[in-house]
Amino acid sequence: MAQHKVNYTQDGGLPVALTSIDKIVNWGRSNSLWALTYGLACCGIEMMASGASRYDFDRFGTIFRASPRQADVMIVAGTLTKKHAEFIKRLYDQMTEPRWVISMGSCANTGGMFNTYATVQGVDRVIPVDLYLPGCAPRPETLQYGVMLLQQKIRSKQASKAQKAKRLM
Amino acid sequence: MRAYKAKDNVQAKAYYTDRFYKSPQVPKSPPESDEVFNSDLEAIKSKFEVLDSFIQVEQLVVFINPKDNYGVLELMRDELEYSQLSEMSAIDWVADRGGFEVFYQLLSMNKRKRIRIKMFIKDGDALNSVEKLFRSADWSEREMFDMFGIEALGHPFMKRILMPYDWSGHPLLKTYPLQGDEAASWYEVDKIYGKEAREEIGPENRDSSRVDRYDSDRFSRLGHEVPKGTKITGDEPEVVQPYQEEGGVFLVKKFHKDSTTIVDDPQR
Amino acid sequence: MAQIKNRLTPFFENITFDRDDNELILNFGPQHPSSHGQLRLMLHLQQEQIVKAHPDIGYLHRGMEKMAENMIYNEFMPTTDRMDYIASSSNNYGFALAVEKLIGLEVPRRAKVIRMMLLEINRLMSHLFWLATTALDIGAMTIFLFAFREREYLMDIIEGYCGARLTHAAIRIGGVPLDIQDNFISQLKTFLDELPQNIKDYENLLDTNRIWLMRMEEVGTISKEMSHSWGCSGPMLRASGTAWDIRKEEPYELYDEVEFNVPWSDRGDNFARYRIYMEEMRETAKILYQCIDIYDKCVKDGQTELMAHSPKYISASKLDIMTQNYSLMQHFVLVTQGMRPPVGEVYVATESPKGELGFFINSQGGPYPYRLKLRAPSFYHAGILTDLLPGHYIPDVVSIIGTTNIVFGEVDR
Repeated sequence: MAQHKVNYTQDGGLPVALTSIDKIVNWGRSNSLWALTYGLACCGIEMMASGASRYDFDRFGTIFRASPRQADVMIVAGTLTKKHAEFIKRLYDQMTEPRWVISMGSCANTGGMFNTYATVQGVDRVIPVDLYLPGCAPRPETLQYGVMLLQQKIRSKQASKAQKAKRLM
Repeated sequence: MRAYKAKDNVQAKAYYTDRFYKSPQVPKSPPESDEVFNSDLEAIKSKFEVLDSFIQVEQLVVFINPKDNYGVLELMRDELEYSQLSEMSAIDWVADRGGFEVFYQLLSMNKRKRIRIKMFIKDGDALNSVEKLFRSADWSEREMFDMFGIEALGHPFMKRILMPYDWSGHPLLKTYPLQGDEAASWYEVDKIYGKEAREEIGPENRDSSRVDRYDSDRFSRLGHEVPKGTKITGDEPEVVQPYQEEGGVFLVKKFHKDSTTIVDDPQR
Repeated sequence: MAQIKNRLTPFFENITFDRDDNELILNFGPQHPSSHGQLRLMLHLQQEQIVKAHPDIGYLHRGMEKMAENMIYNEFMPTTDRMDYIASSSNNYGFALAVEKLIGLEVPRRAKVIRMMLLEINRLMSHLFWLATTALDIGAMTIFLFAFREREYLMDIIEGYCGARLTHAAIRIGGVPLDIQDNFISQLKTFLDELPQNIKDYENLLDTNRIWLMRMEEVGTISKEMSHSWGCSGPMLRASGTAWDIRKEEPYELYDEVEFNVPWSDRGDNFARYRIYMEEMRETAKILYQCIDIYDKCVKDGQTELMAHSPKYISASKLDIMTQNYSLMQHFVLVTQGMRPPVGEVYVATESPKGELGFFINSQGGPYPYRLKLRAPSFYHAGILTDLLPGHYIPDVVSIIGTTNIVFGEVDR
């Protein structure tokens, strides 16, 4: 049996906290943002780096999942090409509500330097995006900061209401 | 009056070229100046017609007739020890000469030599596949078909490789614009939402340089964006974007800078 | 949120179930955690054995060759970063070398040795990344964390040099823009001194690991003929019995002055490739030590030139531009219009961490290349999966893709 060394007379008293449903649900949601591995290009390498030893994403509760059905946030890291556009829509539709999208890097934001025939000029033309991270490629610190901003955004919203439709295009 | 733009070559052009400017040439030397190349060339010449040959930047360039390509490459592989086809593709000369220049870049590891076999094919002609000789040509020829529309006869799977199967146009042709044609700009919309969604979205949304009236300036300062075109005076208060709400977060301890140690030495 | 209506049909509709045989078609990718990017494989399966593999690429095709035709030569340099984004400088270098060969430039010695150091650091970064991801795919999570830790040190060194972690653009046509920073050598030496022990740590974890050996040995065997026929290069070629390294056979920069071995094997399987990557890291460390000596000698000899002197093609130094009128004019023309290399063609191959990285440039004397073909090693290494996968089982697919070390920025360009 694990020994619980909580001093109930000090650390906030009894292990009971009174709060609203919104707060507790949002607390849960914002601190276990499971991300879908969506490394498309260069930014995907920085996404891996932020999950690896130096930047250690796990301490945010952000764990990469390979299945859209287990993921809350889709980090679109890299260039979205026209050939791939169909699949990002497909995978986004497979994610369960509530779901968020972080567009990581210039290519995902606006097409970036690849203003060509083969590149979708911004992932927001296919799926709604919550957060845009600038940079080519953004540093892992930027991604961590972005995740923290997303957590802040989640906490500021009502949890009980159905998510409002996001503006697309 | 709009400036005339040639439709057969939409590649970016130099906006100014001196009338008297004459481009220098990359020096060419005759194939006789290198023993190995010379003997290889003689071997090719004994069986096939060679239109032109020279050494440029340490590599032999041989021009052949397009019908001979399989034979020449077979000779190169089996008798002259050029065991690798490192690259093959085409150059679009449709506007100037009405066809394509196809090149095969061969490597011999025993002789440490590289040879480029080149040939000219007319627009609309197909070439013989060399996929049976060099498996690497399998994908290279598919790429060439995808990018230029040049078909290889006898290829087992002559389909697009880089672009989707339902793509229209061949991107590396000089007639194809860099940003793509009409079909290309709507490709993902057509595929995901259907053609009727084009009207709903509107063609202005396809323009990547368009400025929307909802667009904002200073979008990197979250919560302090201003509408596009607003004059930024510069005397606004400095905004520090916190990563947590003021007063802390429920059940989450705030990170205090003072109570932590910062390791400065990266080599620790 | 109500689902936005779309035209996408469920994917299983593409698969016919009413076949006579037992063949199952399995779709792998294009977004699969162990597909190293956006590889899509259509695998025809007879129970768990693959009878036919059909790799589908192009999901990261960004039109780089088309971009190159519409860009001046110097403008294209940052785009090459995004090809093999794990070792960006090697792409920069391949392109710079091709243009230099085209215009016939000789690069100063000090720039050469700085380039060599950057290239070898990139090779280390790439090999460490390869080890990390392949081990992760096979299930060795510890190696992933270890190798990424080492890689971050190298990234810090590179970042100190050029300011970017991933997309360096650290090499210019005609030399390098900057001298290395003060602590570059000392940091590099610290890293290199610890590297042998680190490599030994990885090997201790992997070399005798039963799971690792079962996934690696006698899996994905490429014969010598097959490797030649498919245009393999780099470790893929050397693992299949050909000791061919472009640095050794067609030396560029100062590779003929440094001593190093070319590790090769005739086993041709995954394990051979793994061993070659590990040995190459050791050889790279050896080269880097010698580069440091050459660099120190350059400093001692007072060689300060970093860019080739060629007013027609290369801008003068910052000091000259700021003080001399003609240099300023030349710089203005070179920046606004771009350099105009001579009419001609060039194909230059360099040994990137993945294999033979070649740039074919056809110049017609204009500021834009008439045709630029990028010969990426990964393109053919992805193609070989067509012939390599049949006969293997599903779990082997992941380890084979891992050891071929394909990067999709390079495959699709």
